[in-house]
Amino acid sequence: MRTTATAFAAPVGPSRPPTPTAWLLIAPLVLWVAVFVVAPTLIMLVYSVSTRGTLGGVVFGFTLENYAALLDRTYLYIIVRSIGFAAITTAICLLAAYPAAYRIGRAAERWRHRLLMLVMIPFWTSFLIRTYAWVTILKNEGPLNGLLVHYGLIGEPLELLYTSGAVVLGLVYTFLPFMILPIYASVEKLDPALVEAALDLGAAPLRAFWKVIVPLTAPGIRAGVLLVFIPALGIYAVNDILGGGRVDMIGNIIENQFKGTARNWPFGSALAVVLILAFALAFWLTSAQEAAEHRGAEEPAVTVP
Amino acid sequence: MQRTAILGAIGLLAVAAVSSCTTPARHSPQSLNLFAWSEYVPWSVIDGFTRETGIAVNYETYASNEEMLAKLISGAQRYDLIQPSEYTAEALIKERRLMPIDWSKVPNIRNVGAQYQHLRHDPDQQYTVPWMVGSVGIVVNTAKVADDIKGYADVFREPHKGRIVVINDPREIVSWALATIGKDPNDVTPETLAQIEPLLRRWLPLVKVYDSDSPKTALLNGDVDLGIVWSGEAALLYRENPRFRYILPAEGAHQFIDSLAIPANAANPDAAMAFMNYILRPEVSRLISAEFPYTNPNLEARKLLSAAELANPASYPPGDPRLVTFGDIGPSAVQIDKLVTDLKAAS
Repeated sequence: MRTTATAFAAPVGPSRPPTPTAWLLIAPLVLWVAVFVVAPTLIMLVYSVSTRGTLGGVVFGFTLENYAALLDRTYLYIIVRSIGFAAITTAICLLAAYPAAYRIGRAAERWRHRLLMLVMIPFWTSFLIRTYAWVTILKNEGPLNGLLVHYGLIGEPLELLYTSGAVVLGLVYTFLPFMILPIYASVEKLDPALVEAALDLGAAPLRAFWKVIVPLTAPGIRAGVLLVFIPALGIYAVNDILGGGRVDMIGNIIENQFKGTARNWPFGSALAVVLILAFALAFWLTSAQEAAEHRGAEEPAVTVP
Repeated sequence: MQRTAILGAIGLLAVAAVSSCTTPARHSPQSLNLFAWSEYVPWSVIDGFTRETGIAVNYETYASNEEMLAKLISGAQRYDLIQPSEYTAEALIKERRLMPIDWSKVPNIRNVGAQYQHLRHDPDQQYTVPWMVGSVGIVVNTAKVADDIKGYADVFREPHKGRIVVINDPREIVSWALATIGKDPNDVTPETLAQIEPLLRRWLPLVKVYDSDSPKTALLNGDVDLGIVWSGEAALLYRENPRFRYILPAEGAHQFIDSLAIPANAANPDAAMAFMNYILRPEVSRLISAEFPYTNPNLEARKLLSAAELANPASYPPGDPRLVTFGDIGPSAVQIDKLVTDLKAAS
């Protein structure tokens, strides 16, 4: 018996050219992508090589100075810092979401939907209102500090709000469901017989987890990582509200170019293009990893005696 | 206030998008497209205008002058009335984007004090009707800060580290440093920016919160004890608790003048001028003051205010403070943005 678990997760169907009916069916999607994805991206590319208009807007032309302006200590620092925050958020979300998603996925049928509902209930309230709720919880004279002081755990109220910690907390809180849901979807499809087989054949629980459960839920993990990392990289409201706006994120810098003092649309567009490239890179890295795993699946990776 | 307003604006946009499908005659004389700051035009005023004239008002909101400019010049929507601050009005006038006002249709302009007319942004008083006037000054929580605060230099001191909120606006921040070294806040050149750089490098690490949307929140919550904020925010704080004292900096402060103006491509300028004349009536202007306690430039309306309203030092600062309006600084805005971004990242 020579196989890895991933082989089960990657059924490859026969490939056929799409029929005219199929084209007709995907036409609305193609149109949607063309109008709302391709066209705006092209506009952004054109703006990013133009020059600044007096009242905002752009004067069309061709220059690379907006990209040259990016090669600057401050902007590079801000880009790296934003990637760092997004990466930390993604890691914490993954650690927190995996056990939760696994438990929900393995729960009895009648509980599963109720538990999933609990994950989704926060979406009924506006994201901004939920973030402002954290301001109320974390503020100097807020309930959290009040409780800690009341029970004598701390003498003075802690500085919780307007810190990097508060920003990470807000980001994790915002994006956790985006990690739980795709992992849950993978866990739900996991055949418990495979786990049992691994255990019966002598694999320790930890080994069964790493060699069977993790590879089988990898598609969910990858989807979750992308769904959390990409928006976390561009978001700026959490940084403003919980971080006090002290250090800008890349999203803040882009916003400032359009809605702030600078009125520098071409530079904002150049930054946005770089952000899209970062997203593309993240996407490419995860799909490259996926492809590597599929190739690996054809090789004898695990040999269970 | 501005963030909730963005949500409001999205809602209004949605409503506007739907109504544009159902009412093709939206540019009939019976409607007015008003594009104004969020939380700045009371609904009672809009409803009163519609009741009296039959002109329906589509009120769309923005949260910064630049956001307004972006939508105005994109041309996606034609507006009849906008509400720029003085330096934005100046830029719009320079670019011939505003329509001259026919004062015979706006006779109530006589209620506006002479000191608020013929200013640098509109020297011939051809294009703008002053809406509200305000300043950017210092708020001190006197229960927590005992020292005598007179100006910017007293705020940005080492003992106040981590206790300061300022509005998140590079132009404003730079103007405080310029005033401190005795320069005009409109004197923005590479040389003056280089002169204030060391000062800002010392100041910015002391700041705990940058917030233009609702700087009063951090003060009310007790997270900070000092602030440099819009006078309207300070007036609301004072109303909440008189321990929040408003001080106009001795070095000089920014006086902003928000005006109503008609874009050059307005579809319904007559309705716009009718609205201007309506809000200049003392009893209507008084309603605006009650909701948004800035300095009312309408002297006839001021006579209708209560003693308590007039005594609010953030609305009507006592003494003779040094106030300067902002001018359009053109492309220097990019350097200001870069300087503040650099120093924030370094702090």
